[in-house]
Amino acid sequence: MRIPSKLSADLNALFEPRVGVPPEVDRAVMDRAHKHFAALQTSKGRRLRVHWAWRIAAAAAVIIFAFSLDLTKQTTPTTDRFLLSKTQAADIDRNGRVDILDAFKLAKQIESAGPAETEWDINGDGLIDRSDVDVVALAAVRLDKGVL
Amino acid sequence: MNKIMPIILTCICLIVPVLAQQSEQDYSTAQSGVRFAPLHIYLDSGNSSLAAYQFELKAAAGQIKIVGVEGGRHEAFKEAPYYDPAALAKDRIIIAAFSTGSNLPKGRTRIATIHLQVAGDAEPQYELKLAVAGDADGKEIPAEISFEKGEI
Repeated sequence: MRIPSKLSADLNALFEPRVGVPPEVDRAVMDRAHKHFAALQTSKGRRLRVHWAWRIAAAAAVIIFAFSLDLTKQTTPTTDRFLLSKTQAADIDRNGRVDILDAFKLAKQIESAGPAETEWDINGDGLIDRSDVDVVALAAVRLDKGVL
Repeated sequence: MNKIMPIILTCICLIVPVLAQQSEQDYSTAQSGVRFAPLHIYLDSGNSSLAAYQFELKAAAGQIKIVGVEGGRHEAFKEAPYYDPAALAKDRIIIAAFSTGSNLPKGRTRIATIHLQVAGDAEPQYELKLAVAGDADGKEIPAEISFEKGEI
């Protein structure tokens, strides 16, 4: 069976594979793809670098801060805050100041087993004993008061 | 990686001087003529028995640090006296002690020894003031306080 040449030509034209992407278009597509992925790569790398830079900077800051502190210095213990609030009670002889004579008088009172006032329980442990005397004596030598 | 190296080097450049400064400070402290000296404190209560005392010492000149406190010579005050631990490593201290015993000193007696760290060549000057001295009845008595520099 013979196909008319006109029909054959039309069919060929209709079903011919379209392979003809112009090279300019192909290059342009490829260029855009390269640029796109390059940008992604750069951005990721930058983020990674910034991330590491922050980590290193933070570590350096910590190290510098640690060395800027004199860690050999010990924190000096300070008199118990409890003492500060009990200063008035520690004035055993009620002469308006807390000194070693208050501790001495309290110690003598305890030793003599004389009548004790509840307010002499300076440390609030329910007992009037040597530890209360110590609290009064320590209140007397606190550095935030002085005689000079 | 080649971008991280400068950051690491920068950090090293920052850290090394700090470390060097630190060790230099330690070295200079060790080399700047630091010495230790005791300061003996005496109290003269005259004819009265001394049962309690309280005084304050501070440096008027020179660089000192209080490093320790010791009791006195007499049995009544042999124990370490009361003081604020915050005074250690400072140049001011308040010291106090009492004795409820019957064996009490009279006259001039050494009540305490303060151990000091003295920095530099300048001889330190001290201000010493008696806050109170008391007898066995807890009454305030007149007394005279003084100090003597000791040798190690």
